Amino acid sequence: MFGLELRDLTKAYGDQLAADQVSLSIPHGAFVCFLGPSGCGKTTVLRMIAGLETPTSGSILLNGKEITDQPANARRFGMVFQSLALFPHLSVGENIAFALRLRGEDPRRRKERVDELLELVRLPGLQSRAISQLSGGQRQRVAIARALAQEPPVFLLDEPFSALDAKLREEMQNELRTLQQRLKITTILVTHDQREAMTMADTIVVMGEGQIQQHGPPVDIYRRPVNRFVADFIGASNLLAVEVLDGHTVRYGAIPLRVAAACGPGGAAATLAIRPEDIILSRTAGGGANEVAGVISLVRDMGAYVEYRIDCQGQDILGVSTPRDWIGAAVGEIAHIRLPVESCQVLGR
Amino acid sequence: MTAAGVSIASTASGHGRMRDRWVLAGLLTGPGLYIAIMAIVPAFLMVQLSLAHREVGGLWSPGFELTQYRQLATPLFARIMGFSLLLALTGAAICVSLAFPAAYFITRMRRRAQVAWLVFLLGSLSLSEVLIVFAFQVLLSTSGTLASALNAVGLLAPGASLYPNFPAVLTCLVYLLLPYVILFFYPALSQLDPEMEQAAATMGASRVSTFVKVVLPMMRGQILTGVLLVVIFTFGAYLTPLVLGRPPQWTIAIHINNAAMGAGNLPLAAAYAVAVVAFMVALLALTRILSQRKAVEA
Repeated sequence: MFGLELRDLTKAYGDQLAADQVSLSIPHGAFVCFLGPSGCGKTTVLRMIAGLETPTSGSILLNGKEITDQPANARRFGMVFQSLALFPHLSVGENIAFALRLRGEDPRRRKERVDELLELVRLPGLQSRAISQLSGGQRQRVAIARALAQEPPVFLLDEPFSALDAKLREEMQNELRTLQQRLKITTILVTHDQREAMTMADTIVVMGEGQIQQHGPPVDIYRRPVNRFVADFIGASNLLAVEVLDGHTVRYGAIPLRVAAACGPGGAAATLAIRPEDIILSRTAGGGANEVAGVISLVRDMGAYVEYRIDCQGQDILGVSTPRDWIGAAVGEIAHIRLPVESCQVLGR
Repeated sequence: MTAAGVSIASTASGHGRMRDRWVLAGLLTGPGLYIAIMAIVPAFLMVQLSLAHREVGGLWSPGFELTQYRQLATPLFARIMGFSLLLALTGAAICVSLAFPAAYFITRMRRRAQVAWLVFLLGSLSLSEVLIVFAFQVLLSTSGTLASALNAVGLLAPGASLYPNFPAVLTCLVYLLLPYVILFFYPALSQLDPEMEQAAATMGASRVSTFVKVVLPMMRGQILTGVLLVVIFTFGAYLTPLVLGRPPQWTIAIHINNAAMGAGNLPLAAAYAVAVVAFMVALLALTRILSQRKAVEA
C-alpha cells in the first residue's frame, strides 16, 4: 500500500495500555487528525509513528515497507512538537537548515531551501532573526518550516496550536490546511480540539481508552457516531436510555420513537442519540410521530443561536434553535419537541 | 471601571510596590552588611597592607610604597601564577568534561536512580578535605593500594611512589571538585526540554550529534560558569598541592602563606593576594564580555 499503515499497534507501560491494537491505513497525501480526550493514547500513537516510542507489539509500514524497528533519526518524519522545540541557540535560518546540515547539503542549496520555506510559511527575510525575537505565530511557522525542510514522507504535529489564542489558532489552522493541500504531504495531527479536527482533516480518528473508537470523514463522524463515546465526545448530543421494541422502533419511557436504521433485537437496552440542532420545538402538539412533551427548564440566548433545555420524563434534553425560528418560549412553559426519524440514531449501550 | 476606581487601584498598587521595595531592602540589608564587613573591609586592609613599609621581625608600618609590587614583575612570580593557572585550567577541563556528561546521564535516568545518585554525590561531599587528601597520600604512597597493585603488574618500579607530583595533585583536586560540578550542572540539565533532543532525532540527528549540536551549545552559559567555578576553587587550593605536590607544584595560595608565615613579609603576601584578586576579576570580566558577544551574535 502507498501510504502509512499501522497494524495492531500496542504500547503498554507496565500493566497500563496506552495504545491497544491500533490498526489504521492512511493513504498518501491524506490529512488525518487523531482526536480524543487527554490520556486516550493519541500522542503515544503519534510518537510510535515518529519512532520516539517503541511499540510493545504490532507494526508500522511506510509504502508497504516495515519500519517498526527503525529509530526516529532513520525515519526522518518531520514533526512539530507541542512545545515547538525550536533551538534557542540557533537563528531562524539555522533552525530550518538543521536537518539539511546534518545531511551534508552544500551551503548554497541550504540557503535556497531556507529562503523557499520561509516564503512558504510567509516569513520571508527572517533568516537571521533569533528565536527569542519571534511572536507565538511566527515561532509556529518556523517550527512547521523546520519540520518540512527535509521533505519528510510523513508530517506529524502534536497539538501544535494549543498554546495560541483563539484567533491566531484559527489563522494557523487555515494556513496549515492550505499548505498541506499544496504540498500533498501525508499529515497526522494530534488534537483534543474537535473544531480543529472537523475543519482541517480528511479523516478523523476518534480515540478513547487507547483504542480507535471510530474513523472516517468528519461529517460521517458527526452525523453517524458508532457508539456512545463518539456521540458524547464529538459535539453535543442528547443520549437517551431506550429499550428496543422492534427493528425500527424504540421505547423512551412509555413513548415509542421511530428510528431510521435497524437497531437490533427487541427488548435490548440501547441509547438513542440525537443532536440538539435536529430537535424541532413547538408550542403545540403536532400529533405526528416521535413527539414528546416537556417543560422548558432553561433558555439561553447566545446571539447566533438560542439554546434551551426541556425536561421530558425526568431527563433534560438539550436543543438549539436559530434566532429566526425561536418560538419565544419561557422557562416553565409546556412545549413539544419532535425528534425527526432520520436524525435518531440508536447506539449500543 | 470608573476614573476614580482606576485612580484608587493605581494608588493601591503604588503603595504595594513601595512596601515590596522596603521589604526587599530589609531582606538585603543583612547579607549586604555581612559582605561589606567580612569581604570589602578585609580587601581594603589587604590593599593597605600591600602598600605598607616592611619592618624587620615580621612587622610593618603604614606607608605608600610599591616595593612589594615590584616583586610581582619577577620570573618567579610569573612561574607561580603560570603554574596555578595551568593547574586550574587543566582541572577545570577534566572536571567539566567528566561532570557534564555524568550529570546529563543522571538526568536521563529513572527518578529513583537519580535520587540514589544525588544522595551518593552529596554523601561524598560530607567527607572533610583533610581526610581525603591524607587518604590520597596513603593510596598513592609506596605501600599504598594503588602503588602496590601497579607494582605487582610491573607498571611501577619497586619502592616507587605515585606522589608527590603534578598528576597526584590534579587527580585529588578533580576528585574533590567533581561532585560539586555534577551537582552544579544537574538542575540546568534536568530542566532541558526532552522534546529538543527528540526534535533533533526526527531531523536525522544521532544521539552523539544531538548531544554535540543541541545539548552542549544550549548549555554553553552553564558550562562556562562551571569552568569558572573550578578555576576559582583550584586557584586557591592549598592543602592538596602542599601534601601531594613538590614545591614546583605549589599554588599561589601556598606561596602567600609562605611569604606571610615563613618569611614574615606580610606586605609581600598582601601584594600577592591583591594580584590574585585582580587576576580573578579580569578573568570574570573577560568571560562576561565573551558570553555577551556570543549572545549578541545569536
